[in-house]
Amino acid sequence: MKDKLLYAACLLAAWLVLANLSVILLVLPDEAEQGAIYRIIFFHVPAAWSAFLGFLVAALASVAYLVKRNLWFDALAVSVTEVGLAFAVVNLVTGMIWGRIIWGIWWTWDARLTSMLVCALLYAGYLMLRRAVEEPAQRAKFSAVFSIFAFIDVPIVWFSIQWWRTQHPQPVFRGGGSMDPAMYKMMFANWVPLLLLFVVLSVVRLRQERARGEIDALRREAHAL
Amino acid sequence: MSFFRHSVQIASKDLRAELRTKEALNASLSFALVILLLFSFAFDPTAEQTREISGGLLWLVFAFAGALILNRSFARELTNDCLDALVASPVSGPALFTGKCLANMALLVAVELICLPVFGIFYNVRWAHRFWPLLLTLILGTWGITVVGTVFSALTVNLRLRELMLPTLVYPLLIPALMAAIQLTTGLLAGQPLAAELTNWLKLLIGFDIIFTALALGLVETVLMG
Amino acid sequence: MSSANFTFLVYGLTVAWLILFVYVALLAGRDRRLRREIEQLKQMLQQYKRS
Repeated sequence: MKDKLLYAACLLAAWLVLANLSVILLVLPDEAEQGAIYRIIFFHVPAAWSAFLGFLVAALASVAYLVKRNLWFDALAVSVTEVGLAFAVVNLVTGMIWGRIIWGIWWTWDARLTSMLVCALLYAGYLMLRRAVEEPAQRAKFSAVFSIFAFIDVPIVWFSIQWWRTQHPQPVFRGGGSMDPAMYKMMFANWVPLLLLFVVLSVVRLRQERARGEIDALRREAHAL
Repeated sequence: MSFFRHSVQIASKDLRAELRTKEALNASLSFALVILLLFSFAFDPTAEQTREISGGLLWLVFAFAGALILNRSFARELTNDCLDALVASPVSGPALFTGKCLANMALLVAVELICLPVFGIFYNVRWAHRFWPLLLTLILGTWGITVVGTVFSALTVNLRLRELMLPTLVYPLLIPALMAAIQLTTGLLAGQPLAAELTNWLKLLIGFDIIFTALALGLVETVLMG
Repeated sequence: MSSANFTFLVYGLTVAWLILFVYVALLAGRDRRLRREIEQLKQMLQQYKRS
């Protein structure tokens, strides 16, 4: 993808975020007891959606790699996993800050935060696994296998932690499902710039994987000579 | 039916090799017992506290002890190129995997069955009256640990930092199974009947086992042979 | 909008974007390193082919 296109996408994303922020801060109504900090939800939740999207694409790319053995799929998998992990960290840290403000504690085993933490551990493990394997085809193969295991585990982790938390109820960020429709719309509206950023970062990361491949080829040539 | 024949052959080979040296078994068992005793010293829990943490304590001990057994599972094949020989043999990937799973399962369950009475003694917990449901939990939970652990034992066998990579990759994957096993064990030891809430956890554990066994059988050929 | 916790909202949003910028910085650093390595390798190969 051309550099200009990437910069344009970034600018568009920035513009959208600012536009959304003005609505978030000025137009939308207050939530009952939480004060202004509630508005962080419009970044906290879409970041989680972005992270999960990354993990889904990584799993699909992993299956594609195992079937086709084209290293481009492996490059895609690692790129979206890394970017997804960045968004997962955003979700976790904003969640912790939010929790610290409203409940006074940095961490509570809230179902959603805990699930995201486990996902972050899984995908950090994925990145660690890649560092441990030198040979590109083997690295791609092992990472693909792990990515598939990890992604299948994600919904099971989600359900099990939900059940666990219903047995020992903890404070929940959003009580029940009753949310102002305007807020729902804004969460989706704010997801758009985050998705744009996700794509831009993934493309940049993909290019770096390709550069690595080029380096490997050059090294092999150097050794041959 | 050569699949079953091969699996049993591999399982008995592994068990025979292990029982002759008892390396992994001793390491695993000593580790488990030491942790159990250390926890008893460190926390000196009251009866009430023990009731609450029993499941968690037991399964964490089993998971850590299991890592020692699982690590050796494929690592044992590295010397003298035994792994290459196995891969080149007519034994299919899934059969090799199943054989190793059965062997690891047997070893880990043996360790667990020894830990249970020790736990009962040092923590003053009565478990014998719930033995059969507990055994069911042990088997289902251990199968989950074994299946995921064996696949990744195969995957990490040739990597640097193998002993670090195996737990790092496997423990997060096992969280649902461990959680279910912990809830079941705590509930059973507290005297709850195997009904209502606990059956949900049982179903989760069974589901986890089925899904990951299928996934492992599907992917192990790729891991071993490419 | 109520101003209770407003500063914390600002902190929270700042941290969120900071994390993304840190990731961008990491990517940029890696980019520079990769480019440098490619240049070095290409130069090395050029020199070897000439000699």
